[in-house]
Amino acid sequence: MSLVDATRSVTGSRRVPPLLVFGGLGGVLLVYFALPFAVFLGRIGSVPVVETLLQTASRTAVRNSLLTAPAATAIATAFGVPLAYVLARETFPGKRLIEALVVLPLVVPPVVGGAMLLSVVGRFTPIGAAAARVGLPLTDSLLGVVLAQTFVAAPFVVITARAGFGAVDERLEQASRSLGYGPLATFRRVSLPLASRAIVAGIVLTFARAIGEFGATMMVAYNPRTMPTRIWVDFIAGGIDAIVPLALALLAITLVVVATVQRFAGVPTVVEQ
Amino acid sequence: MTLELDGLSHRYGNERALDDVSLALDDGELVALLGPSGCGKTTVVQAIAGHLDPTAGRVSLRGTDVTGVPPEDRNVGIVFQRSTLYPHMTVGENVAYGLKSGDLTAEQVSERVGRYLELVELADRRNASPKSLSGGETRRVELARALAPEPDVLLLDEPLSALDKGLRARLRDEIVRIQQRTGVTTLFVTHDQEDAMSVADRLVVLRDGAVVAAGAPRQLYESPPSRFVASFLGRSNELSAWVDGGDSPTVRIGGTELAADTVPSELVGASRAVVHVRPSDLTMRPAPRSDEPSSGTGTASDRAGASTDGGTSDERPGTIEMRGTVTHVSDVGRRYDARVEVDSGEVVTVERDRDGLRETDRVTVTAAVSDLTAFPTSE
Repeated sequence: MSLVDATRSVTGSRRVPPLLVFGGLGGVLLVYFALPFAVFLGRIGSVPVVETLLQTASRTAVRNSLLTAPAATAIATAFGVPLAYVLARETFPGKRLIEALVVLPLVVPPVVGGAMLLSVVGRFTPIGAAAARVGLPLTDSLLGVVLAQTFVAAPFVVITARAGFGAVDERLEQASRSLGYGPLATFRRVSLPLASRAIVAGIVLTFARAIGEFGATMMVAYNPRTMPTRIWVDFIAGGIDAIVPLALALLAITLVVVATVQRFAGVPTVVEQ
Repeated sequence: MTLELDGLSHRYGNERALDDVSLALDDGELVALLGPSGCGKTTVVQAIAGHLDPTAGRVSLRGTDVTGVPPEDRNVGIVFQRSTLYPHMTVGENVAYGLKSGDLTAEQVSERVGRYLELVELADRRNASPKSLSGGETRRVELARALAPEPDVLLLDEPLSALDKGLRARLRDEIVRIQQRTGVTTLFVTHDQEDAMSVADRLVVLRDGAVVAAGAPRQLYESPPSRFVASFLGRSNELSAWVDGGDSPTVRIGGTELAADTVPSELVGASRAVVHVRPSDLTMRPAPRSDEPSSGTGTASDRAGASTDGGTSDERPGTIEMRGTVTHVSDVGRRYDARVEVDSGEVVTVERDRDGLRETDRVTVTAAVSDLTAFPTSE
């Protein structure tokens, strides 16, 4: 054994595995995530979960959330995916401005976003008044909830889908065009399936954000209650234990939706070898 | 004419990419569009396929002006440098893709897919995923996919550039075979002069967005029309030449003075010129050192030479002779490349079959005047 080898084996045995430091730092964060979660769930035993959820107020909140969050997600997807495609494919003057606009709802605190929305759709604004006259009030209504949720949650699907389209080589679309497909058929047969993973991820994020939306919703439509606004009301009245049932239900719905969407929708059928 | 480009120009913003490019492909012809990277080759391909709207000029397919026609209505097949097979489809579905946009029945599509996979010898991979294919197989499936709709023109945009050398040569032959079998009019775009020369019936050389030469590969190689073509088509040495007019005009190249009637006629009119000679057309032998008896020269003769033309003597009027010093010898496998600084100060590369030279060796480099190509310069 040469001197170099000997030195190496000695230091080698003392060497700390390089990822240990990273793992340690990351672990601190993980504990910080897990601890409140575990302690909160630990209260389940002392709370009548099922009975609380069966009360009318809780059932209405669950129903309202299940009506509004999917609607907001659908709207965000229908308008957001085309926008994402344009942002991924085109360069035009003012594109940076548009991109900044897309992330604006993420940067603005939701409660401020809600106030901004109110200044446009509030009861005494031209738009809000006109809508109320035809029987579709945009505040304190399910419509108002959807508006608030869409405003806050839509950027997720735009940003994620844009990254997905950006990862599809433009030549694949050009090849499709040269093989006889127009731009729309090419989008449907090539761009969309290849970006579907990213789009689905964006839809899931948007839904999770929408169903948990509180700040903007509280400003635009404190009534009718959604699960987050109900949770706030219950907390004021009864403290932490009072919100355990609805918080659990919210968590369960989000988990089920995320798992279902990822399992069945959009994930492209990978060709078997 | 199957494909005709007429005065095609294109600008990206203020940057000129193509400048008045005109070329025409006959039915069944295989033409190589050759040029260094960034010369506008891809812009030509994009304009022909319709993925780009040229600033000026016309693209015609089978006599019809298609300049404003979208790509899906042009019937142009295209294979790009990087794979564009669809990963969410099988090999067979990829080849069928361009057929389903037409009005063929399901059986006709299936039969056509089989036929074209047969043509590229991949019939057994029909149900495979594109991800499981090797680099060469991927290229062949792309050829099949581009050819299956039976396009008027096949565009191959650097189809071999991403492959390693051995595979490259094999696939090159494969492309020629498939092109001959199908008879499809093909534009083969490449920056590699070896690829271009070995496949093409005709060569079009592009430089800075303009066509600088067109013709049969061998003809362009042997009598290049410009200094750029001479150095771009294979390797070339440049030597300066001075012409001395008078009653019996002479030309001086690398220290050798020649009577004007022995040199290429292009030289006579100009006062200065640049002369090109291929490294393989130069021969070299050790020069006698000044302190050595000159009798050593003959026996130590060590001529390398692809083009040794018998017993050329030093005084023979058909050759130029330059004394020089070897500055570097590199072993490139099947030959040696020696760099020699000749006493006029210019540096030439000489190809040799054998080793046996060292740096600082004195040598004599000779070239036959018939192997020189001259380009008069203005100054």
